[in-house]
Amino acid sequence: MSGMVLFVILAIPLAAGALSFAARKRPAMEAINVTAFAILFLFTVALAVEVLRMGSVSVWYGFLYADSLSALVVVLTAFVALVCSIYAIGYFRHDERHQVFEEDVLGSVTIAKLRKYYTLTPLFVFAMLMVALANNLGVMWVAIEATTLTTVFLITFYGRATSLEAAWKYAMIGGVGLSLALFGTILTYYSAYPVVGTDSVAGLNWSVLVKNASQFDKASMRIAFILILLGYGTKAGIAPMHTWKPDAYSEAPVPVAAMLAAAVLNCALYGLIRFNVLAAKCLGPQFGSQLLIFFGLLSIGVAVPFVLIQRSFRRLLAYSSIDHCGIMILGLGFGGAFGALGMLLHMTFHSVTKPLLFFCAGNIQQHLKTDLFRRANGGLIYSMPVSGSMFLMGTLAVTGTAPFSIFQSEFTILRAAFERALFVPATLCVALLGAIFTGFLVHIAKLVLGADPGLPPAAVCRWKKYPLMGLGTLIVILGFWLPSPVFHLIQNAARIASGEP
Amino acid sequence: MHFYQDPQFGNRMLTLMAAFVLVLQIAMVGQRWLITNIRIFGAQSFLLAGIANTIAYFNHAPHLYIAAFLTLALKAVLLPLLLERMVKKIDIGQEIAPLINVPLSLLVSGGLTTVGYAVAESFHRPEEATSPASLGHNTLAVAISLFLIGFYMMISRRKAFMQVLALLCLENGLFLAAISLTYGMPLIVELGIFFDLLVAVMVLGILVYRIQETFDSMDVSRLSRLRG
Repeated sequence: MSGMVLFVILAIPLAAGALSFAARKRPAMEAINVTAFAILFLFTVALAVEVLRMGSVSVWYGFLYADSLSALVVVLTAFVALVCSIYAIGYFRHDERHQVFEEDVLGSVTIAKLRKYYTLTPLFVFAMLMVALANNLGVMWVAIEATTLTTVFLITFYGRATSLEAAWKYAMIGGVGLSLALFGTILTYYSAYPVVGTDSVAGLNWSVLVKNASQFDKASMRIAFILILLGYGTKAGIAPMHTWKPDAYSEAPVPVAAMLAAAVLNCALYGLIRFNVLAAKCLGPQFGSQLLIFFGLLSIGVAVPFVLIQRSFRRLLAYSSIDHCGIMILGLGFGGAFGALGMLLHMTFHSVTKPLLFFCAGNIQQHLKTDLFRRANGGLIYSMPVSGSMFLMGTLAVTGTAPFSIFQSEFTILRAAFERALFVPATLCVALLGAIFTGFLVHIAKLVLGADPGLPPAAVCRWKKYPLMGLGTLIVILGFWLPSPVFHLIQNAARIASGEP
Repeated sequence: MHFYQDPQFGNRMLTLMAAFVLVLQIAMVGQRWLITNIRIFGAQSFLLAGIANTIAYFNHAPHLYIAAFLTLALKAVLLPLLLERMVKKIDIGQEIAPLINVPLSLLVSGGLTTVGYAVAESFHRPEEATSPASLGHNTLAVAISLFLIGFYMMISRRKAFMQVLALLCLENGLFLAAISLTYGMPLIVELGIFFDLLVAVMVLGILVYRIQETFDSMDVSRLSRLRG
């Protein structure tokens, strides 16, 4: 009976997509999306409770399978989808009122555009949930590819020449990256094949593979892991395959960008974690760890100069996302009890904080009609008291300043490094994070603070304000108190991610 | 024993078809016309379906017949038809204007094939006579070469359309690798991949169409306004 939850979780977004497609009016589509994601969130919480109680849930002979790690990713995905769907209402209403949609070169009508958003978004969420719930690593690959395909037309939403460019880069770099990941999956199957045999249903099921991983063929597993790291790394946006990220994040509508940054990132890293467990069991922890630390540091390092000289606050957020992806990979690389725990704590806190930043940036962009720093004359706190102050607070939170929760997760990750006496990577990481903190804060402080430029107070509707206030409150609370069931879930997930039985 | 029961014969057939697949891939690198490229892709997929059938028959892996049928229906017939219709509809210039000239590209492809063979050598498990890899040891080398040449085509072609085709060739290489290493992926995965592929071609097709409409060109080097 408990397995039915999995089925329901997957069915809700599909149904929402179909209903939105059939809906005629904007309010109906908005209501369908928000209601569906609210129900979805409740069900994912129910799944998490179930998993905490039973250890794991599976249905259809293990085709769908949820342990603590998948439950965590599923809950985070549903949470991000819910807040984005609430924010999207105000965001698109504002666009509609200011005739932003008419800039489309192909001139499609407003309602068709909105229908595209409200239909593709549930499908996109379905694909992300499938990533976390599919037991079969091949099906997981199919689902990750599906997240790319469903978002291409969300990135071209505004139909500007630049958004076509962003979507093309996104689709092509993502496509090539994922083909590497597919090759990696094939090789994993090959290295497991002498041990588990070919089975056209349960073959490639993670829960089966992980029990036999120590006997896999080492040579092919090594190549498989490198390909998977490059492939899912491209999807997560680690350097040097990160180039699609700033373009896609700055061209997509804000709710889509927030979901790409806070939810797809988790899904790609989730895939990486699953393979990392197999590789660590087969090859010993050392092999994967070195690669992960290298790419983690590289990603943080690549983000630094672009954060420092950034001209647009939307792109700034993209580089921040590359930086955080690097931090999480670093945590996975440091390994041990604290490494995986730090990574998953970071994933949780990041998924709560990043949408806030995107929503603030969205409000400011809609107010100023630009995302360039030089067109904004500072002093936004006067015309936008809520968005401005929240942006500043979110910046402090996301750069890992002390009272906020991301500080704790970064600290946990560094602790993992010191435990293994990896002083050089840890020092480098701290130095690079310091540079990013400085650059990020200077940019945002210049934007928000300063003399009053005399802009009229922005008319920010409640749909655009309340998600900000809600997330802001949540971030402050999370800084001081993490509910113990959530922490237990993360702890159990970390145990799975670090390969403990 | 009849020749069609002799595994040696199957092995020879596989090697022959794999060789043709490779030849077609290199022909594609040397080709300047879009329509011809699409047809070569169709022919290559047809041969892939043949390889899948042969492996299914000689190794008694019945689920490969389904994969072979899907390859035939989708990649050898449906996709080439779709792509050709698209080329005619958009009325893009027929010539593909590569960034690197043809003789040099052919040399590079030759080099990549050598790399493919060198890599495939490390997967050879001669002690396991029953493993599919020992049957199609040449096949894997061809698969890796296909993958690498697909990559090369991707970076050396300027037209958005050709990049889509290169992505499809890359995928052909992966399919060949999967069937020669492990008799293909589990059926459910195979079905998922085919579905994704079909959707991907449609999505990319629409995107290519819109790029053509917006920029009046399919030259992806014009897509360079987003920086930093």
